[in-house]
Amino acid sequence: MTAAAAPRSLILAGVGGQGVLLASNVVAQVCLDAGLDVKKSEVHGMSQRGGTVVSHIRFGPTVHSVTVEPHTADWVVAFEWAEGLRCLGLLGPGGTAFISRERWVPPSALDDRRGGHVAYPLDQVVPEQVVPVDTFTIAAEAAAAKAAVAQTVMLGVLSRQLEFPADAWTAAIERWAPAKSVPDNLLAFERGRRWEAPRAGTLPRVAPAPAVGPPAEPPPAPVVTIEAAWCKGCEICVAVCPERCLVMDAHDIAVFAHPERCTGCRLCSWLCPDLAIDVAAAAAAPVPA
Amino acid sequence: MNTEKRLLRPDMMPHMLCPGCGHGIVFEAMLRVLDRRFATLDQVVFVAGIGCSSRIVGYIDAGTLHTTHGRPLTFATGLKMARPELTVIVVTGDGDGLSIGGNHLIHAARRNVDLTCLLFNNEVYGMTGGQAAPTTVRGAYTSTTPGGNRETPFDAARLAEAAGATFVARAQSYRPQLFEGILEQALDHRGFAFLEVLTDCTEYFGRTNRLGTGVDLLQSQSRAEPAIGVDLAARPTLRPVAETAVRPTLPMGVFHQSRRPTLAEALGVGGGGDELAR
Repeated sequence: MTAAAAPRSLILAGVGGQGVLLASNVVAQVCLDAGLDVKKSEVHGMSQRGGTVVSHIRFGPTVHSVTVEPHTADWVVAFEWAEGLRCLGLLGPGGTAFISRERWVPPSALDDRRGGHVAYPLDQVVPEQVVPVDTFTIAAEAAAAKAAVAQTVMLGVLSRQLEFPADAWTAAIERWAPAKSVPDNLLAFERGRRWEAPRAGTLPRVAPAPAVGPPAEPPPAPVVTIEAAWCKGCEICVAVCPERCLVMDAHDIAVFAHPERCTGCRLCSWLCPDLAIDVAAAAAAPVPA
Repeated sequence: MNTEKRLLRPDMMPHMLCPGCGHGIVFEAMLRVLDRRFATLDQVVFVAGIGCSSRIVGYIDAGTLHTTHGRPLTFATGLKMARPELTVIVVTGDGDGLSIGGNHLIHAARRNVDLTCLLFNNEVYGMTGGQAAPTTVRGAYTSTTPGGNRETPFDAARLAEAAGATFVARAQSYRPQLFEGILEQALDHRGFAFLEVLTDCTEYFGRTNRLGTGVDLLQSQSRAEPAIGVDLAARPTLRPVAETAVRPTLPMGVFHQSRRPTLAEALGVGGGGDELAR
């Protein structure tokens, strides 16, 4: 088999809901329309819950195996920063990874549910082969910064790496994207295709600070008030509060004991059978006289 | 104070429901829906029968009819015919609506009376002392089934659909947000909208079957996502029964929606001034 006939390997990665599978359908469609053999396989079991979605795509004159072996991928295209880093082990020595700087933080990575501080690999040193892509900024210029649409920017970036004509990509997007989002998707694709990656050597080796950082101070706590006279002490609120803010006092009345932990999720109020709990948004900071 | 509480009769609170009773959760969720939909409840009438669920209408600052046992749908039918412009919501329970008032339920569904029927299903007669209801699952202990229930329960939603209800849905107290969404659809529906809500009776059903506290009962609703289900036989504290006692896993959501003439349309009364039509 000649080198030109060797299949090429692409990894598409992201979080459930970002459109990884749709994007992989588009790529596969483009390859099929070009007369190539394509195989693709996805891992998407937890996609509905914000879990990892990875799609392996291999294409060429003849493709036998669908799985991209470690260190063999020609491209890794990731819609989410941590998911992209996670897939770098699949990237081959000569390959390039285009990783969106968008981040979807899994709840388990939140150190502080109220302040929003996260243990998350944002400041990790970026390997030479990684090209960070600010999908939202690029898509926002096209006024198409919807979460799923923004990721089409990545397809535009990828399209520059492949020999297929732009028409083939737009046709595939029109075929696979939901009809109402086709114009936005095409716009985002066009923006991504025109985007110039920073030249090698000029890239910052550390991912820049996230656009949305942890706030300097935790926001003011929501105000939970409990009508003690209505509380019958069933303890449902204590059991359902994810942050364990509520406790029962000596008289079996629920007490909002840990306001500093409250995220304002309202579960206690919704599930209180006695209508005894009110959750109000955080009180505005007092204005100095 | 949360805005839905403006709809309460504050002098009536706290309500009489037992600690941990699922009815209160559904009640507050219902108030939130009403709070979003109505500036005032002047044109909304609640009609209830007898039972724990039916008692909740006494806490709403709307037009309320607390009627005889099993007959809320008959009162509501008459009310809707006389005052078609009113939004009529019937609150009933599984005993009230399926046993004593079972015949009225199927005929209100058959006639497609334009109202919303909320049936709180806690699988037992709570108010009168925990007797077996038509919805009590096989094997469950109640004060009238000390050896475990040998009868097969109704599936209230399927019953209503078979009887001709044009909107049939089921929700549960564990997911008040799901309930709110379905209730919104039921109120939007023109015709007989039947919404069964699974809730928990802590003091009779829960205690007699040793299912734990209100917390345990509520959380047990979550175990068979997305369907509700408590496997009574799987509880180690449960007394053994010959027949497997299972609170069947029941699907949630809107099962059936169709359009056919309402009773008022069939009789040519009322015109188009109907709150539910909008």
